[in-house]
Amino acid sequence: MTAVLEAHGYGKRYRGRGWALRGLDLAVPGGSITALVGPNGSGKSTLIRGWIGFEPPTEGQLLIGGVDPGRDRKAAVRRAGYVPQQPALYRELTVNEHIELSLTLRDGFDTALARRYVERLGIPLSAQANQLSGGEQAQVGLALALGTRAKILLLDEPLASLDPLARREFLHVLVTAVRSEGHTALLSSHVITDIEQACDRLVVLGRGQTLLDLSIEDAVLHHRVVVAADWDGSRPGAIASFPTMEGELLTLVRVGGGGGASDAVGRPATLEEVVIGHLAAGRSRVSGATEAVA
Amino acid sequence: MMRDSIRLTFLMHRFELIAITIFTVVLVVAAYYVAGQLDAVGYGPCATATSPSANCEVLGQRFYSIDSSQASPVMALIAILPYVAGLFLGAPIVARELERGTTRLAWSLEPSRVRWYIARTLPVLVVVVVLAFAAGVAADRLYAARSPGLDMANAFDGYGYRGGLIAVQALVIAAGALGLGAVTGRVLPTVILALLIGAIGIAAVGKVHERFTQGEAIYVDGEQYLAGSRYVDQFFRLPNGTLADWRQLEIIAPEAFYSDTGPSYPIVNLVVPGNLYRFVEAREAAGLGGIAAIMLVGAGVIVQRRRPG
Repeated sequence: MTAVLEAHGYGKRYRGRGWALRGLDLAVPGGSITALVGPNGSGKSTLIRGWIGFEPPTEGQLLIGGVDPGRDRKAAVRRAGYVPQQPALYRELTVNEHIELSLTLRDGFDTALARRYVERLGIPLSAQANQLSGGEQAQVGLALALGTRAKILLLDEPLASLDPLARREFLHVLVTAVRSEGHTALLSSHVITDIEQACDRLVVLGRGQTLLDLSIEDAVLHHRVVVAADWDGSRPGAIASFPTMEGELLTLVRVGGGGGASDAVGRPATLEEVVIGHLAAGRSRVSGATEAVA
Repeated sequence: MMRDSIRLTFLMHRFELIAITIFTVVLVVAAYYVAGQLDAVGYGPCATATSPSANCEVLGQRFYSIDSSQASPVMALIAILPYVAGLFLGAPIVARELERGTTRLAWSLEPSRVRWYIARTLPVLVVVVVLAFAAGVAADRLYAARSPGLDMANAFDGYGYRGGLIAVQALVIAAGALGLGAVTGRVLPTVILALLIGAIGIAAVGKVHERFTQGEAIYVDGEQYLAGSRYVDQFFRLPNGTLADWRQLEIIAPEAFYSDTGPSYPIVNLVVPGNLYRFVEAREAAGLGGIAAIMLVGAGVIVQRRRPG
């Protein structure tokens, strides 16, 4: 499948803060809903903001729909709908006025579609933005992004401040819209259960690098966990060890493929364990060690 | 579409717009009211008469009482209007959007930041100029009432505090505040900084322009009073016909300087004739307008390049 979001040796350095990302290579296939996971400061927001043209690269290149936002920001913005981390609504305007404003800002903005999404969620069009809950503001942000009818949606941790029901509603709207229109979405999130339900691909970032880039199905299929005490560290496939809530130390093991362990070891890993294991591994991993299964 | 854009821009800034509009309307009404009060006294003929009538003293007392108790406060408020309107309408245009993060939404929807910048900026700046111009016209009217017999179109009285210059001052303050707001991305620091820099900037431009204006000044005998002229400097005509200023006179003829009984030299004033008022005003307005334009373009460049907060 053709990649619609690409990073080629992308690096972003902030003055006084060092490198947020460096030497990042990534390709997000078209038509997918890809989860972007990583600890705070791993560069998720930087990467998403880079694709929308908010963060010019220090080195390397980003492409969105084949366009380099560093060279042609206008074309990059036209290709994307963006939902920022914090709701960014005008507190002086109503929901309906936000939709009208979007039409003045973006040629071809689909006001009817945006209104339909908002109304479907029971959010009054006449409500002032500052009267909306965090969840409702995020939903309005998503409706505005969908109203652009952009083929690529970039969602920068929009679920962070939402309660479980609001998260479920948000993801339902997102998944339905993306699947029905054949769009591509990149969703940055910390909430693994939501990712598992909504996404079909997983990218884990850590220490400014891609630690894992797999389909959700493969991520689960190709990892198992074993009790660390029972595992001989010299056996192939061990990725990293991490403690459970009960204090037990588990080891995430890669199975199958070249250099993997037997798929009979331990028990199947949950997606959360896959993510945690790779994040733990990322703490000591050197650059260029992305795990990808074709 | 453009009408919607303007309407929504006004809605975003409605609090400041309503407050400043009310402030301006009150000032304009007050200026016309006080001007009417001054006219009603009927002191005009006394001010221009060579031999005032007996009743002129009473009229004069009433006139100057209204002038000091009503006209002066109104003029003082009109003098600060360009700062108030420029700061409180100019500063939030970009700074508040950056501060609240709404630029993340706007700049992800609008591919052209230049178009966004113009759409947000232009309607507010037009309001700033229109309101300040209305105040300037009202100040013109009030100054005319305060200076009976003076043709305000040919007089430097109240220069910089009336007429179209007020509108340009407000524009330059608004443009400066807008530019600073684009740099800081915070409203309050922008207002404080812009107030300081704006006041210094306008004073500096005034000083520079004053030097310019000296080139157009003429020498007139001290006994000759040119109503409406701008007095730039004062000199003394020495017996050999040359002119000396106060400092030179102190060195050349200290007896004239320090003693009442010493020789006295005829005074010569350097003045810009009142009939140059419109020209001088237009030139300063053009200078300030040019500075405002540079600052607006600068703010636009910053908007193009900066992160959305």
